[in-house]
Order: sequence, then C-alpha cells, then structure tokens
Amino acid sequence: MRNNRAILFAVSLLLGSSLAVRSTESRFSFRTDILPILTHAGCNAGACHGAFVGQGGFRLSLLGYDAEEDHLRITRELLGRRVDLESPDESLILRKASLRTEHEGGRRLLFSSDGYRLLREWISRGAPFGDPQQSVKGLFVEPEVLVLSRESPPSSIRVKARFSDDSEREVTHLASYQSNDEAVAMVDKAGKLRAQGSGVSSIMVRFGGHATAVRILVPFASTPASSSEAAFTHPIDQLMSETMARVRAPLTGLASDGEFLRRVYLDLTGLLPAPLVAQRFLSAPPGREKRQEKIDRLLESEEFNDLWAMRLADQFLVSGKGGGPEAPRMFHAWLRSRIKDRTSFNSLVNQLLTATGKPSDNPPAHFLFLDSDPRDLSEHIGRIFLSSQIACARCHAHPTDRWTQDDYHQFAAYFSRITKDGGSLGDSERGEVDHPKTGKPAEPRPLGEDRQAGEVGRGRRQELAQWLASPANRQFVHSFVNRVWKHLMGRGLVEPVDDLRPSNPASHPALLNALGELCVRDGMDLRKLIRVIVTSEAYQRSSRDSNQVAGVERIHAKGQVKALSAQVFVDMIAQVTGQPDNFPGQPEGTRAVQLATPQVASTALDALGRCRREQSCEGGAGGGGGLAQALHLINGSTINEKLSHGVRGLEAQTPMALRSSIEELYLRTLVRKPLVEELNHWTSLVESADSRVEGLEDLLWTLLNSREFGFNH
Amino acid sequence: MSLDSITDEMKNLRVSGLERCDGVNRRAFLHLGVLSAFGLSLSDAFRLRSQANPTTRKASSCILIWLDGGPSHLDMFDMKPDAPREIRSPFSSISTKVPGVRICEHLPRIAGVMDKVSLIRSLTHELGNHDTGARFLLTGHRPNPSIEHPSLGSWIARGAGTERAMPPYVAIPSDAVGGLSGAAKPGFLPSGWSAFNTGQDPGRITDLHPPVGITLKRGERRMEMLQKMDSFNRSLEQSTARFGRDAFYDQAARLLASKDARAAFDLDAEKPQTVQRYGQSRIGKGCLLARRLVEAGSRFVTVVDVGWDTHQNIARELPDSRFPGSGKLPALDRACAGLITDLAERGLLESTLVVLMGEFGRTPKLNALGGRDHWPRAGTVLLAGGGVQGGRVIGATNSFGETPVERPVSPEDLSCTLLTLLGISPQEEVITPSGRPVKIQAVGNFISELT
Repeated sequence: MRNNRAILFAVSLLLGSSLAVRSTESRFSFRTDILPILTHAGCNAGACHGAFVGQGGFRLSLLGYDAEEDHLRITRELLGRRVDLESPDESLILRKASLRTEHEGGRRLLFSSDGYRLLREWISRGAPFGDPQQSVKGLFVEPEVLVLSRESPPSSIRVKARFSDDSEREVTHLASYQSNDEAVAMVDKAGKLRAQGSGVSSIMVRFGGHATAVRILVPFASTPASSSEAAFTHPIDQLMSETMARVRAPLTGLASDGEFLRRVYLDLTGLLPAPLVAQRFLSAPPGREKRQEKIDRLLESEEFNDLWAMRLADQFLVSGKGGGPEAPRMFHAWLRSRIKDRTSFNSLVNQLLTATGKPSDNPPAHFLFLDSDPRDLSEHIGRIFLSSQIACARCHAHPTDRWTQDDYHQFAAYFSRITKDGGSLGDSERGEVDHPKTGKPAEPRPLGEDRQAGEVGRGRRQELAQWLASPANRQFVHSFVNRVWKHLMGRGLVEPVDDLRPSNPASHPALLNALGELCVRDGMDLRKLIRVIVTSEAYQRSSRDSNQVAGVERIHAKGQVKALSAQVFVDMIAQVTGQPDNFPGQPEGTRAVQLATPQVASTALDALGRCRREQSCEGGAGGGGGLAQALHLINGSTINEKLSHGVRGLEAQTPMALRSSIEELYLRTLVRKPLVEELNHWTSLVESADSRVEGLEDLLWTLLNSREFGFNH
Repeated sequence: MSLDSITDEMKNLRVSGLERCDGVNRRAFLHLGVLSAFGLSLSDAFRLRSQANPTTRKASSCILIWLDGGPSHLDMFDMKPDAPREIRSPFSSISTKVPGVRICEHLPRIAGVMDKVSLIRSLTHELGNHDTGARFLLTGHRPNPSIEHPSLGSWIARGAGTERAMPPYVAIPSDAVGGLSGAAKPGFLPSGWSAFNTGQDPGRITDLHPPVGITLKRGERRMEMLQKMDSFNRSLEQSTARFGRDAFYDQAARLLASKDARAAFDLDAEKPQTVQRYGQSRIGKGCLLARRLVEAGSRFVTVVDVGWDTHQNIARELPDSRFPGSGKLPALDRACAGLITDLAERGLLESTLVVLMGEFGRTPKLNALGGRDHWPRAGTVLLAGGGVQGGRVIGATNSFGETPVERPVSPEDLSCTLLTLLGISPQEEVITPSGRPVKIQAVGNFISELT
C-alpha cells in the first residue's frame, strides 16, 4: 500500500502541472502559498465558504482578503480538526476538498494534484502562518498584449507574482481569469485563451488580491492590410491607427454632410439644425473646414450650455428628492453658468467639494447634501469623479479592483466631519468613520495612495479636494475624458464608464493617456476636449450598416448609433413641430433639456425613460422605453398634440408646393432631402388622403415615429 | 411527471421542429428584419412555433405576484407561535382549509383556498441584498459579471414567439424590482423580450387607442405608412437592433390591430362583484388585470407589490398601516385569494400557474424597531394552478424559522421547476450574443413534490 502510494505520488509529480516546488529550506507563507490554492479551488468564493455566513459552519474571507482570520479559522476552529498535524491526510480540510468525506461543495482538489500536495506538506510542517509581512506586491503578465485568431489553437499567458521579499514566482496555474468582453475572447479556468470575434478587449487576471489585464487583439478577417494605413492628420486618428492596423480594422468612410450635421447638432446642442441652416450647409462644397467652422459655431451657442449642464446634472445626481426644488434649481443654474464662463472642470469640482454655507446663498453647497452617511457619500464621490466602484470594499476587499477595506474606510473618513446644521454645509472638528474590524477611527487617506493625511489644520474636505479635483490625479482626468468621449462617441474608451480599473484597460490605451495629457494642458476645458474629439475622423465616420462586420463600432472603426435621451427627444419633437412644451411650474418656453431636476412632472419624459438621478444612469436600468414607449409615441399626446401645429403653412395646394412641403418636413426631421422614390410615394399618398392637412399630419407623424428620426446616428 | 420525460419530449420536438432554409416561404422572409430585432434566426422561429403547444405541460401562462422587499415568513406563512417572544410573530395563527396547516390570522381568505395551494417553507439562499436576492429568484442564477441571465418572464416571452397580439410578458406597474437590479429584464436576450410596463394605475392603461380625432382606420393607415417609411431606409436596421426599437414597434402594431387584445387591458369591462372580490387596492386591481391578460393570451404577468421591506413596526405596518385593515396583509389576502378563486371558477386554474414570493425572508429575531431585517436563509413560496397539486406543504424550517431542516429548496430548483411547468426545457442550450453556449437553467432540480 505504502509503496503504491509513493509511486502514485512520484508519478503525479512527474505528470503534474508546473507549479513551482518550494525548496525545503524556505518557509511557508499562509498568505502567499496556501491561500491562493484555496482561492483557485473556489473554496472562498461568494457562493461557498466566502459567503458572509460561510457554508456548513466554515467561513473564509471572500477570495482570501483576510489571511489572518482565515488562518485562525482553519487551524483553531472546530477544536483544530480541520488540520491534523499528526496525519495530514486526515485533516478535515483535505478530506472534504478531495471528497473523501461528504462535501456539498463537491471535489475541489484532486488527491493527486499539486494543490493538495502543497496543502498536505504545509500541514505536516505545523500549518504555520509564516512571515506576517509576506504578501503579493505586484502581478505581471507575459505577454502584455496578445494577438489571437480564430483559426489558431488556444493561447496561453504566463503570470508572475512579485512578493514583499522581492522574490518572484510564476503563478499561472493559481491565477483566476475573466474575460472583459466575451464577444472578443474567452478564457478558461486554466488561462487558455480563445478568440471569439474580431476586435479589441482584455482578460482580467487576479492573484493574491491584485488584478491586472492582458490586452487581446483579434484581427478582422477579410481586410487587406493597406486600407488601415491611410495617412491620418488628426492626433486622435494617429493614436488609434496602430491598434487599427494591428487588428486590420475595416475603417468605414466618413459620414455624409447631412449625417454629420444632424449628429454634431444633437451631440453639441441637443437640437436639430433649422432647415435653412441645413440647406446652406448641404449645398456648400464638402470639406474639413466647413465642418470645423460649424463645430466652432455650435460650441459657442447657448444651447451648448443647456445640454452640457444637463449632462453634468445627470452625472452629479441633481435631484429635488428629499428637499425643496429651490436648492437644486439654483445649483443647476450655477452649473450652467460655470459651463458658460468656461470654468475648468477641476476648479468646478473643487468648488463642489469645498463649498460651505446654505445652498440658497452658495449653490454648489447643495452637492454634498446628496447623502448624509460618509460611507454612502464616499461611494458616490468615488464613482462620480474617479469612476471607481468602491462599494464592495465596505465589507471586504474588492474582488475585481485593488481596494481593501482599509482603503474604503480611510477614504470615507474624509466625509465624516461634514455638518449640515440648519441646512448649512460646514465642517466640525469631530466626527469619524470607524473601521469595522478594529473599531478605531480611520485616518483619512486618498484612494490608492500610500501616504496618510497631510497638514493638520486643513479641513478634511479641503485636503480631499486638493488631491481629487486636480489635474495631477490621473484617475480623475481619465474619468472626465472617458465620460465626455462616451457622450460623443457612443461608447467609452473604457466600458463601463463607471468602472475604470487596471484590470479593465481602455480599447485604445495610448489614446486615453494622450487625451488625458492634452486635457490637462488645455486646463481641463470642456469645449477644447469636445473640439478635439469631434474634429477627428473617428468621430465623423458613418454609422450606417455598410459592410455588416460585427465588432467594428466597439473600436470606433465605424460610427456608433446612440440612443436619444428623453429630454432631447422631447425637445426635438417640440422643435420640429414648432410647438413648445409647457412644463408645470416652469417659465414659458422652457425646454426639457433645461429642466433642473427629474421631479418636474411630465408623462412624456417618464414614458421615454428619463434619468431619475438616484443612481448612475449609465447602465440604462431605469424604467421607460420598451413597448410602453412605442405605444406612447404612437398614440400618446407627445407627438399627436403637436402635429397640427407642425404642418402649419405647409398645406400646399399645387403638386409642386406639396413636394416642397414634403421636402421641408424631411429636412426638419432627418436633415436630408427625400429620395426620389420616397418623394413620389408620399406625394401620391398625401394627395389621396381625406384632406391635404390630414395627409401631411400623418406624414409628419410617420417621420417622428420612424427609426431614422428616433436615434442619433 | 419526471423531468427526464419532459426533456425527452422537448428534444423530440426540437428535432422535428428544425427546418432547412429551403423550407422557408416568402412571407417568412419579409419578417426577417423583425426576427433579427428579436434576435431570432429563421430556424429559431420555426422551432419556437413548433414548441408553442407541447402536450406535456399543463400551464400555458404564469401570474407572479412579487412582494418586493422580502416578505416576512415568520409573520405570514411559516409562523412559530411556540417560539420565544422576541422571535414569534406579533400575530396569531389560524387554521386553514388544509388540516394541520396554519398561517397568519391576517390572511383568512388565503387560508380558505389552501386546498388549492402548495406551500414551500424551505426556500433558502445566501444573497441578502435586494438587488442580488431579486436577481437570484427571478433569473435562477446568482449575479455574474460575465453573463446577464435573463429573467423567467423573458424566457417565457421568447418561448411564446412573435405572432401573438397580446404582449407575452407584462409587468404591472413595471419591471423595476429589487432597486435597480435589472432582475426582471431580458439580460443577454434581445431587448424585444422586455416586459410591457403598464404604468402605476392598473385601472387606466393609456395609449392603447388612437388619440381623440383619429379614427381606427386612420390609425391603421399610419402604421402602414410607418412600415413603409422604415423600409425605405434599411441602413440603420442592424445598427439599431440592440435597442429593440423594431421589436417594440412590431409588438405595438400587433397589439393595436387587435380589438380583443386591447380590450383585455380594460378593467371597466369587469362586473363590480368581481372587482370587489379582488379588492380596490392596487395589488387587487393588478391581480384582476393579470387574470384578464392571461385569459387573452399573455404568457407571463408580474404583479409587483412594493413595501414588504419591513425593517420596523411589523405589528402595525403589515395589517393596519394608516388605519385598521389598510395594511399590506389584508390587501394581499384579498387579491391573492380572489385571483385563485376567480381562476378556478373560470376553469383557468389548471392552465395558469400562480406564484407568490419575494427576494428573501426576514430575520427571526425582531429588531429594536419591532421589525425584521433581511434573512435569505429562510423564506416561503406559494404556488397554485398550472399542474401544481393543492393542499401540500414542502419543506420545513427549524423551531425559530432560521434555516430549513427538511427539504431545502434553492432558487435554482425553483427556477427549474417554474420553467418546466411552463413548457421550457431548463437544459435547452442557447448561444449568448458573445458566442457562449449557456443552458437556460443548468443547475437545479424539479420539485416533484409539487405535482
């Protein structure tokens, strides 16, 4: 028996995977040698022993964030039965994991595996914790960028961990892998990568509380390489060209003048161009300068201020919930003024974070009334300004980002001294956030930084603002740039835009970095950033279904169709019909985009799914849309009540005048002239209607419900 | 009825349902654009059509009454009158139509129909947040960063196909449950399989008729014009498919073209006695509307009742709220019992599966505010109709209602069971948009004690 076992053991060693064998002189570290085995085997996953209440009376920290606790539970709980120092194989932890004892979680470790063997050896050496300082300091992958193709067999990567004692070890077989976009590439538990579809994505790699990413490029199949080598003059296009060439992305041509005009109007002002303006633009000879001039004109418009004030208000969750309408209205007006006078974004945010007094006297003070609990407030701030989802780290270390519970609570500590007595925002000398484990107050510390709180005497908020709302804060700059990019391009360089982390890199990383630097050089000026983006070819590409190649919009080789926000859609209908909306409690002529809060009653805006500003609206998980929206547009008041006004002056009597009216309607709504077949069809249809007016109203109804009107393409 | 025999049946249907492209007719081609908006290929459409009436299942539709917030099992269906004061419910228990089964005194009408009901007392999981709990219960899967699993309603809608006038999946008032969980949404399925949200007032569904001054005929003409308009410019069809707009307009067209379908949404057509039976509350009207909708052909209707997250003052909130008898329990009692009775009397109970549940149960120990907090480890599910046998109790919790001691039921088991009862094979494999093959409900066992 003994001999057989020894042979089996030797054979398994020979045949086993390439887990590096520790020399007998070096000591075990529970945190860096043993815990990763448990994580890889799934023992401490959220559905198993990593659950808040554990499983079957055995609890481990989620994904191994608390090595000390885990060691205690494994070695001390259950009268120490989990580890049997005399006969290691009889340890409960090994018997269950290898299913030699009933285990609801099934077999997690093969008896013959390296993981089992290492665990047993560790137990036989007394199940030590080892050096308490020993931890993972860094994680590296090789290669950092991988080009895959669907024809080639699955590829693999190597993962190396660097430890606090400066040693390094390959941990490929212990790391966990997850694809950030399965449509491009998939990865299995062993880290074998397979291409799924063309494009650019990344694989998240995790080990020992650290996460990093491998960039994956899957070239497009049928493009000759030359089409991606066109000479680009715009810095954005130049920065994207290398990636585009590497994936042989089939680049779509530029959008027509009409497509460009409609798109840039909606993106910059939330309105359509008036027919005369459109006519003039379309009849002038095509060219880059023409488009550039138009862009500059729109950037200086009042409507630009309205639209982007709304976008910032969405981002800053400006809502009238739980308070009067006055404060948010004044705050919204203040935001609009800051956009109008070109306040730099970092300066604006600084004011938001440091304002004091009553919001009625100092409007930006309204912002921090967003939440009262410092932890909840810190989560909002983390997401809104740093695109960091820190919420998970409240109770345990964040599973996909680098935040620990310490990071979380020390960041939340910045918000613990805010006072709101008598509705006036201020700061006190007291107030703490207690770390849940130690019960002691957490010292304020910026997210992701090692240093502690700085000068004594400066308020916590001032210190926070100085670190956060600064051009020197890369995460802050990238978050801003990425959000603006998404508004214009339809898809962030990093998706989701609320989740910027090292394990989820940008589709064009060099571009994001360069745009960040450019933005800082330009003083974080919103208009300058927008200008640089919309003058690029990447922005101006056509979005029509041309070559139907899947995945091209994701890397911006093709224009991306964008949904219209509820407010913009409603304003477009009012504009095209010439009949403005009447919002309760608002001055006459107020457009939907100008409304300060989502509390203003409007069936139309609700049916169209306006952002409630309670949480991020990026994911689109709110109500509205769907069949209910379609029914409302078809039969509801929003479109139907404005049709008669919309055809005023167009009730043509002669065939030529009729054709002219139809052209006018097309120009107003779709910013183009009807095709010959369209014009012929609608002319005869309107002529055969019960009355000219009826015919035209129905045509306008049709245009406003059409697919082409309902999107920003 | 074993799960195996059902699966075999499904397999046979699937094999016989698959047809080659040369079997396609011209009419089917014209619908291609719409099909792609629903994310279906032609072979999918044929297969689903052939699956539309499998002979093995009983239930053709489902009404889910969703108690948003987490209904307290210890105060409703799993009472422990012998437990200590700090644990047992402030309410007494009463006997029901089923000997030996007792439930809350504030649910007398439901007690009167317990012979039609199967009660699961051992629902258990570990997700104690509204959004994660709701997702687990409604999709049969824990939240997963790689895959957004579709909700039960969306699977049923997809199985119903695209030919009906009635929207297959309806949510009263909306599919927003569990906060911003997205639990009742289509997930990776095309947006066309979203719920139709009826709006806050079940008694007044708007926008189903042309506006004043527009005749039905003119309304029809407009829809024809729209179809023509969209067909002139197809160059945005693919790029906009992911938003589902074509699918929603297609559904709207079919709904609006059917007088009977539109009439189903009109509660005024009901006799006053019937309305009384369900009660004038929102949940009452919602259940009555749900019955009308499944009668007319909807396959999955969710009635969402909010306000069950009772962290405080259960003794007053649940039965009385603002004035005696105005609480959630009396309203639920009337609505749920009214629904079951009404369905039975109309001969619809056999074909309609009724489910009553929330995202989790509540803490056995009453908190300092006289309420209970989240407790996913125990919870109850009530089922009736659709092939479910009445008068049964499945599973039991310990003497304090903390954890199942008999026959634990996971949300995966529940999902598998509901899918199967409604004619969907849990083992059916679908391909997600990113190309990953996924089974509808890989994990979980059919709860055979129900049938």
